[in-house]
Amino acid sequence: MTDYLFFLLLGSAAGAIIAAFGLGLLITHQGSGVVNFAFGAMATWAGYVYADLRRGAYPFPIPGLPERYHFGDDVGFWPAILLALATSAVLSLAVHLLVFRPLANAPALANVVASIGLLIVIISLIDQRFTDNAGLRVGPILPREPVTIMSDVTVPRDGLWLVGVVLVIATVVWALFRFSRLGLVIRGAAENQKGAVLLGYSPALLAAGSSVAASVIGAFIVILASPMIQLSSTVFTFGFLIPALGAAMVGRFRSIWPTVITGLAIGMVQSSFTKLQGDLSWFPQYGARAGLPFVVIIVAMVVLGERLPDRSTVSTWKLPAVPPAKVNAFTVASPIVIAVAGLLLLGPLWRGAIMTSAIGIVLALSLVVLTGFGGQTSLAQMAFAGVAAFTLSKLAIEWSIPFPLAPIGASLVAMVFGVLVGLPALRVRGTNLAIITLAGGVAITEFVFKNPKYVGDASTGGAQVPNPQLFGWDVGLILGDHASRPIFGIFVVVVAALLALAVANIRRSSSGRQMLAARSNERAASSAGIDVARVKLQVFAVSSFIAGLGGCLIAYRFGSVSDSSFGTIASLTALAVAYLGGITCVSGAVTAGVLATSGVAFYGLTQATGSVGQWEALIGGVLLIVMAVTNPEGIAGGIRARLAARAISDNAASINAAGGGF
Amino acid sequence: MALLEARGLSVTYGGVRANDAIDLDCEAGTLVGLIGPNGAGKTTFIDAITGFTPASSGTASFDGNDITRAGPSSRARAGLTRTFQSLELFEDLTVRDNLLAAAERLSWYSLFVDAVAPRRRTDRAAERVEQILDMMQLSDTADQMPSELSHGHRRLISVARAFAADPKLVLLDEPAAGLDTDESQALGVLLRRVVDDGMTLLLVDHDMGLVLDVCDQINVLDFGSIIASGKPSDVRRDPAVIEAYLGTSDRRDLT
Repeated sequence: MTDYLFFLLLGSAAGAIIAAFGLGLLITHQGSGVVNFAFGAMATWAGYVYADLRRGAYPFPIPGLPERYHFGDDVGFWPAILLALATSAVLSLAVHLLVFRPLANAPALANVVASIGLLIVIISLIDQRFTDNAGLRVGPILPREPVTIMSDVTVPRDGLWLVGVVLVIATVVWALFRFSRLGLVIRGAAENQKGAVLLGYSPALLAAGSSVAASVIGAFIVILASPMIQLSSTVFTFGFLIPALGAAMVGRFRSIWPTVITGLAIGMVQSSFTKLQGDLSWFPQYGARAGLPFVVIIVAMVVLGERLPDRSTVSTWKLPAVPPAKVNAFTVASPIVIAVAGLLLLGPLWRGAIMTSAIGIVLALSLVVLTGFGGQTSLAQMAFAGVAAFTLSKLAIEWSIPFPLAPIGASLVAMVFGVLVGLPALRVRGTNLAIITLAGGVAITEFVFKNPKYVGDASTGGAQVPNPQLFGWDVGLILGDHASRPIFGIFVVVVAALLALAVANIRRSSSGRQMLAARSNERAASSAGIDVARVKLQVFAVSSFIAGLGGCLIAYRFGSVSDSSFGTIASLTALAVAYLGGITCVSGAVTAGVLATSGVAFYGLTQATGSVGQWEALIGGVLLIVMAVTNPEGIAGGIRARLAARAISDNAASINAAGGGF
Repeated sequence: MALLEARGLSVTYGGVRANDAIDLDCEAGTLVGLIGPNGAGKTTFIDAITGFTPASSGTASFDGNDITRAGPSSRARAGLTRTFQSLELFEDLTVRDNLLAAAERLSWYSLFVDAVAPRRRTDRAAERVEQILDMMQLSDTADQMPSELSHGHRRLISVARAFAADPKLVLLDEPAAGLDTDESQALGVLLRRVVDDGMTLLLVDHDMGLVLDVCDQINVLDFGSIIASGKPSDVRRDPAVIEAYLGTSDRRDLT
C-alpha cells in the first residue's frame, strides 16, 4: 500500500495544477459566464515568459515584431515572475475586451468557437517562439529536498508545497466570495446581471476583473510548477485543462471546494495509474489517464444533471437561425461542376486543395446535422472520423472486406462511439456538453489511437488502407506512376455531394422538423409527442456516421492512417470552421469546406500572397476569432442577415414611396 | 370510466405540497374547468398529468391505462397533450411546421427514408394540420415564423399545436391570458366547438367569464386541494369557492 501512497503523493503537483485551473475556470465563469477553453494555454504562455526571462529575454507575442527583447542575463526571480504575471493580466484583459465582451450576447457556441481560435493562436505562438521546447529548463522555485512521509515513502517536497499554495489561494478566494460584499455581488451577477446593474455595480467591470484574477492565478501556478513539469504547448493546454474542466463541472462552476478537491484527486489518482498498470494485468495500458476526467464528468453529470430543463430555466444556449433548404438543379449542380472542372483542369496542388475542401465539407455536414439541426455540440468529431479510419484499415486489410462495405462498416463503428459520447446529451446541454465531448474525444484519442493493438505498429508502416475500387475500377489517388489522379478527387466530390443532398433532405422532411422542434424547445417537443431522447441519439448517430465517412475519405487519400490527422485540435478546428461557415445549413457546410485549413481558400491565399507557411495555424486562429466576433451567427448567417436587412430597407423605401399617394 | 382519472395525486416541491391528494375526472367529450387563485397548484396539476413533474403519490390513468410513471412524450403519443402558459413555441419553425412537428409520428427508420426521399406532405397529418390552421384562422400566417406574430396569434398557435397531434384530451394552461374580451370569447366558441366534435378539454384560466360560460364541469383548487367541483351554476354559489376567491364568507355570487 505504501507504494500507492508514494504514487498518489507524486501526483500532488499535477493535482494542484488541475485544482488551480479548475478554480480559475470557476472564477472566470462566475464573473463573466464564459467557459474559456484557452485558459490553460493563456497560463502556459505566462509560464514560458517566466522561463524566457530567466534566460534573459522577453518574448513578444505579436508576429512581425522582433521576437524578443534581450536583457542579456537572467533578470532574477522577482522581476521575472512579476513581469510574467503582469503579462498574464494584460493578455487576459485584452482577450476579455476584444473577444469575450463583444460576444456577451452572442450564441454561446460563438464563445466556444472564439476560445478555440484563441487556443489555436496561443499554441502556434508557443511553437513559433519556443522552437527549442525540450531544451527549456526552469530552475527550482519551491523547496524540493525530499521529505520522508512514512518509513519507506520519500517524495520531493515541491509537489506538496504546490498543493499548499493552491489551498491557500482557494481559501482566500473562498473567503472573498463568502464574506466580502464584492464576492456577494460577483455571485449575484453570475445569476442575474440586471440585478447587479440595479445595485450599482458594473457587470463589465466584474467580468474583466474576475477574468484577470483567474488568469493570474493560473499563470502563477504554472510558473511555480514549471521546474517540476516540463513546459510544453500541449501538456498544460489540454493535459491539465480537461481534468480541470471536469473538476469545475463537479463544482458546477460555482462551488470552490468540490472543484479544488476533485482537481487534486484527479491528479493524484492519475499518477497512481502508473503503478496500477504494473500491478494489474487487466488495467488498460493506454488511455486510462485521459479516461479518468471523462468518467468523473459523466458521473458528475448523471448525479447533478437534469433530464429536462425546468420551468424556471432560461435558455441561454441559443443557436443561429435555420434557413429552409433550397434544393434545385442550380444549387446542387454548380458546386459539383466547379469542383470537377477544377480537378480536371488545374494542377496537382490545386487538386489537393479541392480534395481537402470536399472532405472538409463532409466533416462540416456532420456538424450541420448535430449542431445546426439537433442543437447538440461535439468537440470529438475528428475522433469519430479517426475511429472509422482505423477500423477501415482493419476491415479492408485483415478481413478483406471490399470497398463500399468496408467504409460503411467502419463508419457504423464510428457511429457506435458517437452514440456513446452522445449519451450524456440526454441530461447535459450547451457548454457542459461541449466539455464532455471534448473529454470523450481525448479519451478515444488516447485509448484507441495510441494503442498499437488497434492502430498497428508505426515502425512497420502503421495502418494501411487499400485504394477504393468500384466494381474492379480503381478510383484511388495513387495508382502506378500516377501520384495525383483526378478520378479520386471526383470520387470525393461525389461522396460529399450525395451526403449534402441527404442532409438537405433531412432538413426538408419530417425528421428534420422534429430535430428542429427538439432543438427549439425540449419541453414543448416532448409535450407534442416527440421523443427528445431518441432525436438526440439519432443526430449523434447520423453525425458520427458522416464524420466516419469523412475519416474514411482521409484514410483513402493518404493510403494509411495516422493519429495526427485525428487529434483533439483537429476536432476543435472542425467545429470552429463548421460554425464559421454556417452550421445550420448545407451551404454553410460548403463554405466551411472552402475555408478549411489547406483547403481552396487557404491555397488560393498562399498563391496570391506568397507563402504564409509557418504562420498558417496562427493566422487561421486569428481569423477564427475575428470572424466569430464579427459574425457570431456564422458567415452564411451574416450574409442572410444582411440580405434580410436590405430587403427590409427596400420595403421601407417602397412603402415611403407609396406613402406619397396618401 | 372517465377518460382521465386522477386519484389521490400529490406533488411536493421540497416541503411544499403543491398538489394534495387530488381526485379529478375528465369524462370523454366534456369541457372541464380547473380554477383557483394564483399559486393554487393548477399548473402543477397539468405538469403532473402530462409527465413534466413526478407525482409523489397517487395515480393517474388515461383511457384505461395507468400513466403515472410514463414520460411526457409517450403520454402525448397516447393522446394527452397540453399547452404552456409561456407558450413555448418552436421558434425555429414556421407556424405550419410547428403544427406538423406535433402531428407527425415517426418510427426509428423514418430518418433513413427521409434522407433518401424527403417525405411529401400529403399524408393524414398534413391534412389535419391544414384543417386546424383553417379552423383557427391561422392559414394566412402558416408560412411565417412565430416571432413575427402578435401575442394573440402566438397563443392560438400554441393551442393549435396541442390539437395537431389528434389528441383525445388537451390540457390548456391559461389559453386566454393576455387576450382581449373579443378574442377570449372567440376562443370560448372555438373550444366549445372542438369539444362538440368529440375532443375532451381541461381548461385552466383566470378569465372567470370564459370558464363559467363554456365548461360543463368545474373543479376549484385552493392551496393544492380541490375545494369544490360541480356544474358552473353550483360552483359559483359555493361558499368555499367564494371565500377562496374573495377572502370573505359573504354569500355572494361569483361573477
